[in-house]
Amino acid sequence: MNPILICRDCDTVYRAIPLRRGDVALCRRCDAVLARYFGADAESGLALVCAAAICFAIANLTPILSIDVAGVETRANVWFAVLSLEQGWISVAALGLAFTTFLTPAVQIALLFWVLLFARAGLRPPGFGPIMKLLHRMRPWSMTEVFLLGALVAIVKLANWVPITAGAGIWAIAALTVVLALLGRCDPASWWSIAPAVKT
Amino acid sequence: MTVLRQSLELGLTLCRTCGLAVSRASLESDGRCPRCQSRIEHRTPFSTEMTLAWLIAGIVLYIPANLLPVMHTSGLLGEADSTILGGIFEFWRSGDWDIALLIFIASVAVPFTKFIAIGLLLVTVRNKSRWQQHQRTALYRIVEFIGYWSMLDVIVVALTSALMQFQVLGTAEPRAGIAFFCGVVVVTMLSALSFDPRLIWDQRV
Repeated sequence: MNPILICRDCDTVYRAIPLRRGDVALCRRCDAVLARYFGADAESGLALVCAAAICFAIANLTPILSIDVAGVETRANVWFAVLSLEQGWISVAALGLAFTTFLTPAVQIALLFWVLLFARAGLRPPGFGPIMKLLHRMRPWSMTEVFLLGALVAIVKLANWVPITAGAGIWAIAALTVVLALLGRCDPASWWSIAPAVKT
Repeated sequence: MTVLRQSLELGLTLCRTCGLAVSRASLESDGRCPRCQSRIEHRTPFSTEMTLAWLIAGIVLYIPANLLPVMHTSGLLGEADSTILGGIFEFWRSGDWDIALLIFIASVAVPFTKFIAIGLLLVTVRNKSRWQQHQRTALYRIVEFIGYWSMLDVIVVALTSALMQFQVLGTAEPRAGIAFFCGVVVVTMLSALSFDPRLIWDQRV
């Protein structure tokens, strides 16, 4: 554990004390979260990452929403949504959507899998430093939960006109949101602490 | 009560990438973090300038995002272009006031709040204000948290366009406004990410 904590938001320095399960250390000056109890080991982290990978695969392979009108069926998931924005220069929006709802979650899951696979075996993964930096940079750009809300709004929006049904994908997206949130709660600083245990 | 001290007074500095407290003396000669090799700066360089630049870009993009149509629909009821505000109004009129409110919050209230909030943070930091430091830090965290929810409308338009592809019943297609709106979201997120909240606390008694 870090013996010294520095607040990200107001730069105040603290001496760290051991946290118990459920504890959150807050900054006295600005109330920022300094640290959370970190109970996850490489083993349970890896289990969460595998769950995330499975949910991600289901969400991208099955329809999230579908409409059936007189035998003609249209379907949509993350990928279909991205492709529908691909029109002339509007495609920049397709890029934005692909980056935030497909690429970022996919890369996050893959990188965490790589890191934790090695950590579980007690090894420092090749490229650990750059990978952790990349994970830190990508964190604000992961928008799976926004996509879930968007799908729910689309259901309500279209249900007035057409028979719209939610497919397996929507449950997968919902589960993915929860799993990614759990992984996200383990802040990067805590994931780093796996490394010294692993041997620098 | 113990005295709260900032990192500089104790000869320390924070690596914002990996969260390590680094002693300034032990900073490697090139000023990189011993753990993650990121460049460490006492304060993010050009923070207010970058924040302001992205903020202006966001406000500029916000104008076409609202004036241009975001979606074109054609079907039994004829052809129509809809803007973001028009879409909200449509929901409101058809009785879906809750969805209207949700889209209003995500697409209008959130970007607008971000412009005002970031502007306020920039002005107060520039004036070296000690006014409401605690509340202003909370404001910064709110801006950081709500930012990406504005992507909602982009996703709704994309899903609607993907689903409404019926020859007889009707089709929906994205229009230029949505690309500008996507730009607003990305650029205002960059603006918030460029802001170094520690600047709020650098003015002490």
